[in-house]
Amino acid sequence: MPLPELSVSGLPDSSLIESDFSDQSMVLEIETPLSAAQAPTWDFWKVFGSTFVTIFLAELGDKTQVATLLMSAQSQNPWVVFAGAASALVATSLVGVLVGRWLSTRLSLKTLERATGMLLLVISALLVWDVARM
Amino acid sequence: MDWHLLGLSFITVFLAELGDKSQLAAIALSGANAKFPRAVFLGTIAALILASFLGVIVGEGTAQILPAQYAKAIAAAGFAIMAVRLLWFSAEESESIE
Repeated sequence: MPLPELSVSGLPDSSLIESDFSDQSMVLEIETPLSAAQAPTWDFWKVFGSTFVTIFLAELGDKTQVATLLMSAQSQNPWVVFAGAASALVATSLVGVLVGRWLSTRLSLKTLERATGMLLLVISALLVWDVARM
Repeated sequence: MDWHLLGLSFITVFLAELGDKSQLAAIALSGANAKFPRAVFLGTIAALILASFLGVIVGEGTAQILPAQYAKAIAAAGFAIMAVRLLWFSAEESESIE
């Protein structure tokens, strides 16, 4: 029966470890290449940005914020109120996006564009109504 | 952790927001940008969470930075522009394709 062979080949070579420090300036010169896949990413951020700005401005000072403010003023734990409010908003947004996505698979492109265009006009009118009442 | 308060605030805000403008906007925007439902979802929750975060942090102080009237008027214009773009320009393009 052969005995297991002991070897020292697994040990790192001390000369290789030391050489790593002298090469650090080389690493900084490597540039990340601009890929062709940036066009869809740009569209993604355009949709994200327009959604973010319009909804943020529409909701600033709205009733959710007022309710959040009142609850955090009454309670000792404003962060618990914030956590509850934030998770509720995530839930309602998720339901909204899922409904929108479901509709987009059901309706033809023309019908969908007409329906979403009308809905956006309704939202715009609701906001104008809010401004008029202030 | 105050679970009672957490549940109370969740239910209050959930019921208040159900069928509200922001949810209608989420439906409309994900219909209008059907290719990027994730971008609409992330944009919506980021906006809503930041708005309520400011509600907790500064309270009525947001009115001093940007009055809600002006903010809502800008948002109304933004939604109207998106609506006009969808109803006029996209309809013409899709008709020419068909």
